[in-house]
Amino acid sequence: MKRIWLWFLPGVLVGFLIIGSGSVLIRRTSSNEYCASCHKIHPQATVSWKKSGHYITKSGYRTNCVDCHLPPHGQGYLAAKIKTGSRDLWSKWTKDTAKFDWEEKARLENARKYVYEASCLACHENLFPAALSKAGEDAHIYYTSKNKPPDLQCINCHLDAGHYIEGYVHTGNINFGKTSLSNLPSFSSAAAVEHFGSFTEQIPGSTVSFSMIAIPGGTFKLGSPDNEPFRNDDEGPQREVRLDSFYMARVETTWDEYLAFYAQTSAEGRSTDTEGLRVSAKTTDAITGATPPYGQPDQGWGKGQRPAISISFHAAETYCRWLSSITGKHYRLPTEAEWEFACRGGTTTPYFFGGDPRQYERSGIRARISHNDTSLINTYVVYNENSRGKTQEPPFVTPNPFGLKNMSGNVAEFCSDWYQSDAYSRYPAGLMINPRGPETGVERVVRGGSYRDAAGKVRSAAREFTRTEAWLRTDPQMPKSIWWYSDCFHVGFRVVCDFDETTGNSRKKKNIE
Amino acid sequence: MKTYRISRRNFLGTTAAAGLSSLTFPAIVTGCSSEKGKKEVKVMTFLDQAPDGQELKAGLVGCGGRGTGAAIDFLNAGPKLKIAALGDVLQDRITACREELKKQKGVEVPDEKCFVGFDAIQKVLDSGVDMVILATPPFFRPEHFAAAVEARKHVFMEKPVCVDPVGGRSVIATARKAQGLGLSVATGTQRRHQRDYVANYKNVAEGMIGDIVSANCYWNGGKLWHRDPNPTWSEMEYMIRNWVNWCWLSGDHIVEQHVHNLDVIHWFTGKYPIKATAFGSRLRRVTGDQYDNFSVDYVFDNNMHVHSMCRQINGCVNDVSERMQGTKGSSNCINTIWDSTGKEIWKYEYPAGENGQPGTELKISPYVQEHIDLVTSIRNGKPINEAENTAMSTLVAIMGRISAYTGKLVTLDEVMNSEMKLGPKVFAFGPVDVPKEVPLPGEAYVPNA
Repeated sequence: MKRIWLWFLPGVLVGFLIIGSGSVLIRRTSSNEYCASCHKIHPQATVSWKKSGHYITKSGYRTNCVDCHLPPHGQGYLAAKIKTGSRDLWSKWTKDTAKFDWEEKARLENARKYVYEASCLACHENLFPAALSKAGEDAHIYYTSKNKPPDLQCINCHLDAGHYIEGYVHTGNINFGKTSLSNLPSFSSAAAVEHFGSFTEQIPGSTVSFSMIAIPGGTFKLGSPDNEPFRNDDEGPQREVRLDSFYMARVETTWDEYLAFYAQTSAEGRSTDTEGLRVSAKTTDAITGATPPYGQPDQGWGKGQRPAISISFHAAETYCRWLSSITGKHYRLPTEAEWEFACRGGTTTPYFFGGDPRQYERSGIRARISHNDTSLINTYVVYNENSRGKTQEPPFVTPNPFGLKNMSGNVAEFCSDWYQSDAYSRYPAGLMINPRGPETGVERVVRGGSYRDAAGKVRSAAREFTRTEAWLRTDPQMPKSIWWYSDCFHVGFRVVCDFDETTGNSRKKKNIE
Repeated sequence: MKTYRISRRNFLGTTAAAGLSSLTFPAIVTGCSSEKGKKEVKVMTFLDQAPDGQELKAGLVGCGGRGTGAAIDFLNAGPKLKIAALGDVLQDRITACREELKKQKGVEVPDEKCFVGFDAIQKVLDSGVDMVILATPPFFRPEHFAAAVEARKHVFMEKPVCVDPVGGRSVIATARKAQGLGLSVATGTQRRHQRDYVANYKNVAEGMIGDIVSANCYWNGGKLWHRDPNPTWSEMEYMIRNWVNWCWLSGDHIVEQHVHNLDVIHWFTGKYPIKATAFGSRLRRVTGDQYDNFSVDYVFDNNMHVHSMCRQINGCVNDVSERMQGTKGSSNCINTIWDSTGKEIWKYEYPAGENGQPGTELKISPYVQEHIDLVTSIRNGKPINEAENTAMSTLVAIMGRISAYTGKLVTLDEVMNSEMKLGPKVFAFGPVDVPKEVPLPGEAYVPNA
């Protein structure tokens, strides 16, 4: 009998040792110091944590890294710990941590991947503490209601709970766009255009002016050949297109320009900001403008000459209508054909500056092996290799052969066409003249790629489209805003002006709708 | 044959976050079934008097007719209950209330515990009471309820609990705060404390009429009271004295009075409607700015329709009741259940009359019962919280009102998210800056010139 015990006992002892050391290991690797031992490559994480409301507390209690960045014990803690730990180790050994875009990782769409709602609720059991403000009451009633969107979680509004964010605003930003009066005199009238040529437009009642480049009409091939690297099927078949002359803005609509519109037409409160009013908004005579945005539409990158972002397609269209009404010209969004014509600048290569798209890639194993030289593309395009995760101002790049800047890259740009993947093949055979896109659709065309895209997506022929539902996903307002996208910071627009009797075309009398 | 089941989710309506449940009072669903497919629904047992315990001091805010009545009902609810403070905007209401309390209950409220003015609520809360009775015009209820919970007092508050969506959301949030603080809150929806209603509810919930397929509710009555303007009164004083005829103070009669019946619909069906289409008009009322009749078609998420009507006009046929139509029968919600042929299959047994004849009314008035239940919950440490249910019933009434005023279909989502807030910005005895026109739905016919 004793023999059996002798065999049994060592097993029990070993078992205890494994369990004991296992739990010590788990605890040791979950301490704040352990996290910081790797994340010292990003000391901002610790610094911002120590400035946050989860560290500086009235009670003196301090929330630890794993309290938020792992689910609660018993709700997948170990599995998440293994997964996150493995991913961190892999990154440490294989990636160049100096090139991480920490700001991008801190944004909501990334943060939701490693902050667990169950962890918030594990501590914050009572969502209606006695000191809750009225705004908090309304927000938490919405959060606990049946109608809340499925991916609305705590950090949608409370993104700065664990890590301090400078200037973070998660309420209706009613002071947005209220800049101090400039010392420059305001323009009293728009520019007068007597003949076809580039001009500087002036926004009456503001100090804002911007360049419009004259683009002579012509013929070009829309789309890309089958063998172009990174090509998608929606870029074909290539079609011959002829376009009339038009004017195009030299740069993407800047915050200065957009805020002139916003200041002159904005409406407080939400009277114009409902989905249901979308239809009637088109037929009103007076142009009611945007309501205050939620949070920081400029993402804290600054405004001024930077392109306006977070604005919806509807807002861009309304801006054009407003600009037309106060200048007496006919401003609108470019058609997709006009956009590609202007972007190519008379070239037929993937980029107007030539080169193979594959040589402009820097990420990925293949790129590292081939030591690509991106100095050429860097002079013309703001894209993921040189943007440092944000939009850039016009002086950053050189213009294209037509004199336009940032057609490719910086922000992607709205076009007036409805998007359809087979749009090019739907036109009647032969030369396409001033095509305006499909009759109907669900989403609109977006062109040019942005600061966060890789080389393949900033080719002249690359096509994209709006993702309205996804770009409004975390909009906490009900109904959702029609003026601002809550989850889209890479799309803007530039304006086109018709060449007609208001801009020096004495010959033609065009009908504008 | 499908048995009628109330799932907890149905019962609680929209509140759903883990750990946050507002218990509906008094029914509690149990999961046990006794026979095959038959669910047993537990309802509260009622006491005839609240149990003894520590002295409970209540402050009355709003000393009009109902307030004084509520104070007396409270005193009748059990031992060691006191009215310790009074608050109102008008001195003569306080005087009349004190006299009534002295006459009926021999209770004297000292001078220094009587507070006059718009800030009386705060003074009552600070005067050393354990709970408050809120019986002011409904407009003030949300802010008074919030102040009471902030001061950590238990609350009895009259229905309706708000007059607009902003007020409704405030009450819902305050109710959840109260729950977090362990405070007990009862509202003046006394049918939920009526033994006949509760017994009837239990039978319906256990499936005696099958699944509910539709319902009706009525408050068709005569004209209520009014006060004529008086040259010595400022406009604010006149409106407050005539509050039941001004929409910003009362919510209009569909909210002020008919909420009782809408609350019964909410209670019995376990749901509230998602949209409403309503008619309404002002036929005979000459004071204030309200309508005097409403008719509403309420639609629920399972396509069930419920019709509600209410009227305050003299000389018409009257009816204050509710009815449920089920697959196996119907009920008048208060004391009788019929099968589908119209045969009576259940009737509540009222206590016998004096000479032993069959009784027709309850022994304990529901107006006292609601205070008995509140005091019991405070003294035995099991807080109740009726505020959220009553807030939802009030918002449903408001939805009907808005539909009648505008002539449009209104959804509950729109109401829940609306920023509409009635009332003036300034509270002083002077002119009142609110719209006073009677609303007219639709468009006028304009003949071509």
